[in-house]
Amino acid sequence: MVIAEDAALMREGLVGLLVDRGHEVVAAVGDADALIAAVAGQRPDVAVVDVRMPPSHTDEGLRAALRLRRDHPGTGVLVLSQYIETRYATELLAGNAAGVGYLLKDRVADVADFVAALARVAAGGTALDPEVVRQLLGVRRHEHAVVTLTPRERAVLALMAEGRSNAGIATALSVSGGVVEKHVANIFGKLGLPPAEGDNRRVLAVLRYLGSARP
Amino acid sequence: MLRAAWSAPFTRRTLGAELFCLIGAATGAAGFAIVLALLVPGTVASLSIAGTVLGLALLVLLVTGVARWLGALHRALAARLLGASIAPPPPVRAGRRAPLWFGRGLRDGPGWRAVAYLLLKLPVALLEGYAVFWWAAGVADLTYPFWWPMFRNHPPAVHLDPVPVLTPFGAFPVGTFAGTLAAFAAGAAMLLAAPWLARAVVWVDLGLMRGLLGSGRLAQRLRDLEETRARVVDDTAALRRHIERDLHDGAQVRLAALAMNLGRAREALGRDGPAADLPRTRELLDAAHRDAKDALAELRDLVRGIHPPVLDNGLADALATLAAGSPLPVRLRADIPVRPSAAIETIAYFCAAELVANAAKHSRAGTVDIRVAQRDGMLVMGVADDGIGGARPGRGTGLAGLVQRVHTVDGQLRIASPPGGPTRITVTLPLRA
Repeated sequence: MVIAEDAALMREGLVGLLVDRGHEVVAAVGDADALIAAVAGQRPDVAVVDVRMPPSHTDEGLRAALRLRRDHPGTGVLVLSQYIETRYATELLAGNAAGVGYLLKDRVADVADFVAALARVAAGGTALDPEVVRQLLGVRRHEHAVVTLTPRERAVLALMAEGRSNAGIATALSVSGGVVEKHVANIFGKLGLPPAEGDNRRVLAVLRYLGSARP
Repeated sequence: MLRAAWSAPFTRRTLGAELFCLIGAATGAAGFAIVLALLVPGTVASLSIAGTVLGLALLVLLVTGVARWLGALHRALAARLLGASIAPPPPVRAGRRAPLWFGRGLRDGPGWRAVAYLLLKLPVALLEGYAVFWWAAGVADLTYPFWWPMFRNHPPAVHLDPVPVLTPFGAFPVGTFAGTLAAFAAGAAMLLAAPWLARAVVWVDLGLMRGLLGSGRLAQRLRDLEETRARVVDDTAALRRHIERDLHDGAQVRLAALAMNLGRAREALGRDGPAADLPRTRELLDAAHRDAKDALAELRDLVRGIHPPVLDNGLADALATLAAGSPLPVRLRADIPVRPSAAIETIAYFCAAELVANAAKHSRAGTVDIRVAQRDGMLVMGVADDGIGGARPGRGTGLAGLVQRVHTVDGQLRIASPPGGPTRITVTLPLRA
């Protein structure tokens, strides 16, 4: 994997954390240009990208992440930020939520969860910060009066948006796997997703609910 | 002194004043004629029954158009030739529809003031012409002895008329070479006197211009306030951005690293039972401890930068703390019997902090001397150092920013910093903002 983070303290910490866990960090860089060069050269499974990097310290990291998504679809991109910006999330998710993650930097403290999220993104899954999901669902709730999910279904969808599996959702909500499956089926039904689309439906469900999906 | 008097007729300043007098005499006379040519028929016609509208139109044209334009011309001349900047009055608040156009035009204060100037200018213009005459005739008279031998080398039998020499006290005839020396003397005297005459006349004209062609005191004040308000708003936004950046790049990074290191330490410790990797845990806890202390230090510095807590005890205490923490030795004398308002104390403190930091960074000074006193209801703070001087606003020293900040509360910041030093900066602030 490749790490792009301008604060040396965080960068070294991330490298240490991932190496401890037995991952291979092929490059740790401090700005967006070096990140793009490293990904082009090393073809990592996943890149961890800080949003704010030199020179202007605004959203270079996000721009670079979007470019990586376009140019290297095989590389997962996990964006880290001190703040949650809904706009960043929708830009990242636009069209396709495979191999994307957007987490608050704070989440790094829960090492196991963080590494699991990173692994999901590397494998082509999704990892959205609960905070992102909360904001996105909060924003979109009023726009989709037609789609009426029950609070329970919305909770399941939120966990799905974070990128969790049915088993993960069941653990988080302290219910059985069967109950979760029922909720998921209801969600797919209400959002009009036919069963034929397979695994991809989970991502599509989230995107359709958020209104970001291309029909 | 004597040299200055000798060279006075040909300094830039005198030449500018003479040229201003020359042009001003012409524009003054022409302006007077034009104003009269519009004012008299305009007034007469507007009082008549048939020509009211035409007359009023003439007056509006005069006030908002011609007079203002001539006023602007005179301001431009003063700026170009005398280096005197006179702020222009606010533009005409023209109305599109006829009643508004007439109403606002006829009530255009700055326009009428310009009319008054152009009328009063006539006697001044005459004096200006007179001042130019002293200088020009003086120069002409000086030349008599030089051309006399060339043109007057005729045989003794030929009789030529004497040549008149112009002086302010009348012309006198010159018929001999000795007489040209008298002309030379008269010219020299006139030329030496000319600068002072020109300056006196220009002073009168400038007084008239400031009073009648300027922006008016209230309008000027309004403009100052608008400017300083805009600056305060910009400053506030910049300050917020600065604080956000400091937090984001400083304490927030340290705290994120702290959380990460604690998370890793917990991993290294294992969920339960004896520690899985004790040396690694110790190492990570050490790092976390360091992160926490660094974060505290960063936050402390940031807080001090926003508002030093000691400022609540008063400016004197805050300055004493500042002096104690300065890399340069600072001598402080503060005598503040009446406590200024919090905003003033804050501005004074940050001025002192910035000036001391500047001294430490740029001046190569050995010591800095801060004196704070109250005089005539103002807080006067002098910051002096024994360094190399050459401090000027607008050279990246932050002095320009200080000048602006002080200006927002109608204070003043004066800089005396000749090359070679020493630097003495005096900040004067009102006690209440």
